[in-house]
Amino acid sequence: MAEPTTAGPAPQPEPLARSPIPTLTPTAIVAGWEVTDRSSDASTRLADLSPLAKVHVRASEDGALAAALDVRFLKAARDDYGVLITGSGPGEWTLIGPAGTAGDIAGRLSALDVDERITIVDLTHGRALVRLTGDAGSTLLATVCAVDLDEHTMPDGTCLRTSVARVVTDLVRDDRDGVRSYLLHCERSSGAYLAEQLRQVGEAHGLGVEGFAAAGR
Amino acid sequence: MTAATTPGAATRLDPQPGEVIDRTDRFAFTWNGVEHHAYRGDTITSALAAAGVRVFSRSFKYSRPRGILTASYLDPGCTVQVDDEPNVRGSHRRIAPGQAVTAQNVWPSLDRDVKMANQAVGRFLTAGFYYKTFIKPQRLWPTYQRVLQRFAAGGTAPDTAPDRLRYDKRYAHPDVLVAGGGPAGMKAAVAAAKHGAKVLLVEEEHELGGHLRYGDTGDLDRLALLRAEVAASDVEVLTDAVVAGRYDGNLFAVVERSAPGLTERLTKVRAGVAIVAAGLIERPYVVEGNDLPGVLLSTAVRRLINLHAVKPGNRAVVLTANPQGDAAIADLQRAGVQVWAEDARAGGDIVRILGRGGVVGVEVGDGRKVPCDLVVTATGWTATTSLLNMAGDRPVYEPRIARFLPSQLPDDVLVTGGLAGDDDLDELLDHARAAGELAAERATEPGSVRGAALPVRPIVDACLPALPLHDHPAMFRGPTHGFVDFSEDVGSKDLAAAVAEGYDSSELAKRYTTATMGPSQGKLETVNAVAAVAEATGITIGQAGTTTWRPPYAPITLGALAGRNFEPVRVSPMQPWHEVHGAAPLVAGAWIRPDHYGDPAAEVRAVRDEVGIIDVTPIGKLDLQGPDVPNLLELLYVNKWQKLDVGRVRYGVMCAEDGVVLDDGVTGRLGPDHYLMSTTSSGAAGIWEWIENWLQTERPGWDVHVTPVTTAYASMNLAGPRSRDVLAPLTDVDLSADAFGYMHVRTGTIAAVEDCVLWRIGFTGELSYELHVPAGYGLHVWETLLAAGADHGIRAFGVEAQRTLRLEKGHLIVGQDTDGLTKAGSAGLGGLVKLDKPNFVGKPELVWQQEVGVTSTLVALQPVDPTEVPPEASQIVVAGRTVGRITSSRRSPTLGRGVCLGQVPPDLAAPGTHVTVRLPDGRDIVAVVQQHLAHVDPEGARLRG
Repeated sequence: MAEPTTAGPAPQPEPLARSPIPTLTPTAIVAGWEVTDRSSDASTRLADLSPLAKVHVRASEDGALAAALDVRFLKAARDDYGVLITGSGPGEWTLIGPAGTAGDIAGRLSALDVDERITIVDLTHGRALVRLTGDAGSTLLATVCAVDLDEHTMPDGTCLRTSVARVVTDLVRDDRDGVRSYLLHCERSSGAYLAEQLRQVGEAHGLGVEGFAAAGR
Repeated sequence: MTAATTPGAATRLDPQPGEVIDRTDRFAFTWNGVEHHAYRGDTITSALAAAGVRVFSRSFKYSRPRGILTASYLDPGCTVQVDDEPNVRGSHRRIAPGQAVTAQNVWPSLDRDVKMANQAVGRFLTAGFYYKTFIKPQRLWPTYQRVLQRFAAGGTAPDTAPDRLRYDKRYAHPDVLVAGGGPAGMKAAVAAAKHGAKVLLVEEEHELGGHLRYGDTGDLDRLALLRAEVAASDVEVLTDAVVAGRYDGNLFAVVERSAPGLTERLTKVRAGVAIVAAGLIERPYVVEGNDLPGVLLSTAVRRLINLHAVKPGNRAVVLTANPQGDAAIADLQRAGVQVWAEDARAGGDIVRILGRGGVVGVEVGDGRKVPCDLVVTATGWTATTSLLNMAGDRPVYEPRIARFLPSQLPDDVLVTGGLAGDDDLDELLDHARAAGELAAERATEPGSVRGAALPVRPIVDACLPALPLHDHPAMFRGPTHGFVDFSEDVGSKDLAAAVAEGYDSSELAKRYTTATMGPSQGKLETVNAVAAVAEATGITIGQAGTTTWRPPYAPITLGALAGRNFEPVRVSPMQPWHEVHGAAPLVAGAWIRPDHYGDPAAEVRAVRDEVGIIDVTPIGKLDLQGPDVPNLLELLYVNKWQKLDVGRVRYGVMCAEDGVVLDDGVTGRLGPDHYLMSTTSSGAAGIWEWIENWLQTERPGWDVHVTPVTTAYASMNLAGPRSRDVLAPLTDVDLSADAFGYMHVRTGTIAAVEDCVLWRIGFTGELSYELHVPAGYGLHVWETLLAAGADHGIRAFGVEAQRTLRLEKGHLIVGQDTDGLTKAGSAGLGGLVKLDKPNFVGKPELVWQQEVGVTSTLVALQPVDPTEVPPEASQIVVAGRTVGRITSSRRSPTLGRGVCLGQVPPDLAAPGTHVTVRLPDGRDIVAVVQQHLAHVDPEGARLRG
């Protein structure tokens, strides 16, 4: 057996992060992630936004952090930094921000002067995230999700956890420029499957695939 | 009016005002191999009827010729095969160019079916004959089975599903669902939509309109207005679709038979309020000869003439008891048919219908015999109350109108149209509009019926005006016996015989005779069957009651029930590499894992001699934070956890309350209040729920946050004597044995990736590092390690090699070396269980097990013959009695022999004991119990290196 080595690491090339959803050519690098770099003219579009920062927070449901975040369970809203705060469970939030900002988000949360214990876990790598934008989005989702996505039951700024194509998925209504849009995130290992199912059911609705930048994040 | 002279369309009429055929689109198809022509919009039977075809099938039991009866989906004698698709409803399905249509279940031909011989022995085939015959001798049962299978109805399904078949499901949540797209349904839907409701309107026919479609010009004008109203509204319309069932919570199954691009789609509809406007089904008249080709319902001839421009005969006898029959007479006369009318309201009747292969005449009520080729009956209606029954209604028979009426319904189901009563069209539409408005109000107003308790109330109190009832003669059976169930060949005489044999209720007679149990499922037959039972028992129809309507109302294909196949698949970040490098996939639950890369034995040797790397991403990982984590671990694991230092890792076993081994894994302490727990791959989700269950229900005061992070990390195990050499240049963690010893955890950088977790543990029995890296970088780290290990002989290994390595080392797998009865003491874990702890899950049972002793224990075994590898689950026997089993076995590449783990009774567990292993092929071999569970390196020197 060789002698134990304690010399420390040799210089390494910059690591490349990859989404669980296969990228399509052409590709680009955003914040160290390989992403699809294309646009789509389709009226309903699907984009892989897995590189976005996803920070999971646990705290008391009615405590100081809940008051500071000011987003209740099943609701979603953006903070002053443009981070989307989703009330993903009782006493549970998922904060979605620009790629590469998970540390900043976690830092801001840690800096909050709250007199309770909060748990912050960076789930950027643990969650696959796609955005489905377009008028046919809810029709498309009606083939894979049993929940009523009508305007009166799930308006912009709401979220819920449900089954999408039999995958436990967090579904967030997050309209873009007045166009109906959903964010869907699930645990990473099912991401490729979920995206493929959405693409398949979307064929009947003319679903297009667009890249990370084109989706406007 | 004269019959058109288009070649091949001998009875096609000149254009009709409401016809649905497109005369500019004419095409060919075949019927039993003979070419015919159709227009776009023709049904299979309308096209064939236009060509003069009258017989479409042979009946189930007596092989009697059958033709059009209803000219609708329900037509019992018009089920045909279309290309490779069996059991197509020929009077509903629209024919397409080039299709080959054939008669089903006839041999050698429709004209000369061999089963016609049954007609000669018909008197022996009375109701329930199959309960009394084919019983003895028992040795002939297989022969009986083969013969009887020849009589089974139905076409020929292809051996494999054609690629063209596409099925799907979807979900819909309208405020108001309207079942039935006749005038009442259309009006109700529009009214609900105008009141702000989201409305789904479902119609079984190909177009909206109900009976207005085949009505006169006045009806067609009203229909045009109603269709315009629907088109101008936001109502979602599904035609060629049917509401097949109603379930709790106002959940409805809607079958769409012509959704774009699909063979069939099942839509699960959760409706706020449902309006049932399913209308009425015309009831056949039971009289001798009523099944002959050429006997049609009045609605059938109106459909044929007005929708498809088909002249159904030349000389007709019409028995009419209502305006629909009168309208049929007018249509027939307009089509140039000579009509003999028997008005039941004035005492007219028919005694029997004459003919063999088709109608040739009728004996009417006064005894005269009238020659004809067409008999039309308009003798009453069956209320389609199925959905109402499914909503809890118990419809009551109203003798005045000779049909059933709804009685009481929940607030989330309303009824309108002909189901609710009779009136002129304007009044019916008023009622429908009121129903639509009420439904919209109930479904959309605050405090609506959605989610609220649903009182059941009498229909007359349901805030809707009651519709009047128009008297109708009660006509079920004529002076002679005839067929009641055309699908099952059950006659009124059969039902009378069943009653005479003691089956004297509707439910019993139904089951004994199979009346109402055929493809039309009672829609044509139920009331006539009940009437026959009532007549035979001397009670009223109301007293006899109906049989129970259950879902589905209409047939649903298995394809639609299955829908699109959603089978979630989970893969690790390194899956692309595995695929490129020839990994044999192993399906492990939802995970796809590399089983091996071609030579699992070589992979084992690489780990033992050099270094190997395996993708272990599926291992469950839970992030635990909070001051009470030690208490949680102490509660759930059987061993002790209060003194686990930061940077240390400990193996633990969880048991259920019954002491049975539930899961195992290691937990490392990353910080004062921060732990990372691993579980088995298959147990990841279950253990998370297990922990949350204990925290939320039993220990809600404990301050612990659990976050599942299984796939936040790509996990890989670098194992083998050279693993340290491979990893060291790539990490800032000091890997020296003193700095990072066995069962320790560190965090650091690997291959320039920060926030990695390194565990020094050894499932394979070798010096190894389990590396958990942020998943997005998993492939990068994996490829970097392989590149760095190239000079050290690194080799990727799969699950098969891992299983062999751990077996050589004697490490158990929960669920393989244990089962649903294996308590910790029987799993070789007795030393791990700390019964001196104040409490932990399963302790009482384990204390009891210790007191009474184990009934079996896990031991390592080696066959005396080193070439033998007893298959897993081989039995360990004593004097022919099974006392244990082999739980794991492999040929060890390291030792060059078979090695096993097995459960044996305590008296066979002593090292050196010879046990008999019975192999699946019946041979017995001898194996020897080993000193340690580990076959390789029992001292653990290699993994601690």
